[in-house]
Amino acid sequence: MPQYRTQGRIIADILVTARDMNMDGQGVGITTLLRKGNVSYSRMAKLIVDLVGAGLLLEETLDKSAKYRISDKGMKFLQAYVQFDDFAQSFGLKL
Amino acid sequence: MGPMDVFSNALQFIGAFVAFSIAFVAYKGVRETSSSSMLRLAAAFVFLGTGFVLQGLYGIGSIGSAPGFEFSVATLLLAGMFLQTAGYFFLAFSHVVDVLLSGKRGVATALVLFPIFALSQTSIETVLRSLSFYFILYGVIETALSYSKNKNPNTLMIAAGLGMLAAGWWVSLVAPDVALLNLLQLLMKEVGLLALFVPVLKFSFRKPGDLHAPV
Repeated sequence: MPQYRTQGRIIADILVTARDMNMDGQGVGITTLLRKGNVSYSRMAKLIVDLVGAGLLLEETLDKSAKYRISDKGMKFLQAYVQFDDFAQSFGLKL
Repeated sequence: MGPMDVFSNALQFIGAFVAFSIAFVAYKGVRETSSSSMLRLAAAFVFLGTGFVLQGLYGIGSIGSAPGFEFSVATLLLAGMFLQTAGYFFLAFSHVVDVLLSGKRGVATALVLFPIFALSQTSIETVLRSLSFYFILYGVIETALSYSKNKNPNTLMIAAGLGMLAAGWWVSLVAPDVALLNLLQLLMKEVGLLALFVPVLKFSFRKPGDLHAPV
């Protein structure tokens, strides 16, 4: 049975992809985010706009394509997410 | 004021401290992650904490209450019990939301049976006690089921803590006036509350996380 992911979990997964798949330091494209994030294109496009707007992702245009990197604020969000996910799990809940 | 009353009152205020500590951490979680689960958890423990405070105040107030003030003291008790029931409801409701969102309706549907169980009782106090017991019991089941999946020792600790609280409530339901059982149910609730405090302690003493930790 596929595991249900909360919105927070999806955002955390996108940020982790932007953090871990940024091998060359230039950021990751939307295709990589889609493949690892496992959400539809339209939803991912909206999420990216929201995350860039919230300052969690940094957007740069290279060779006419958008690349995304995790920001310091995004790193801090991930750190908080891990801590509070553990806390919510203690009560048998998902964050 | 007998030692049992002192112990019972102290328990209420310890309960309030534990509940508000959990609510505080959960509220921090709401601010930092905007999680609705954390919001429900914070609401549940704010209700529980306020309920504990009111019941503690009832304990103090009922000892030396002047004639004419008995009514307000009794109102304090009922308000405290109502808030505690609301707190346990939010805790159970958090699990219901989690279960429904994950598409598994097995245990969640059992919740609809509660009016039959609760409304067969007579006084408001007994109804509130029955509902609280029911909601905690539901929380115990769902938390234990979560432990079977995540194997997180803290989840087991919370399930055990809620289990002790539920057992305490059950004893107070079936034998409210037996002194020895009254002491037993107070001890059970005390141990249960202390178990609930473990994740707060763990959270408070946690070192700043590794920014590159897996999520």
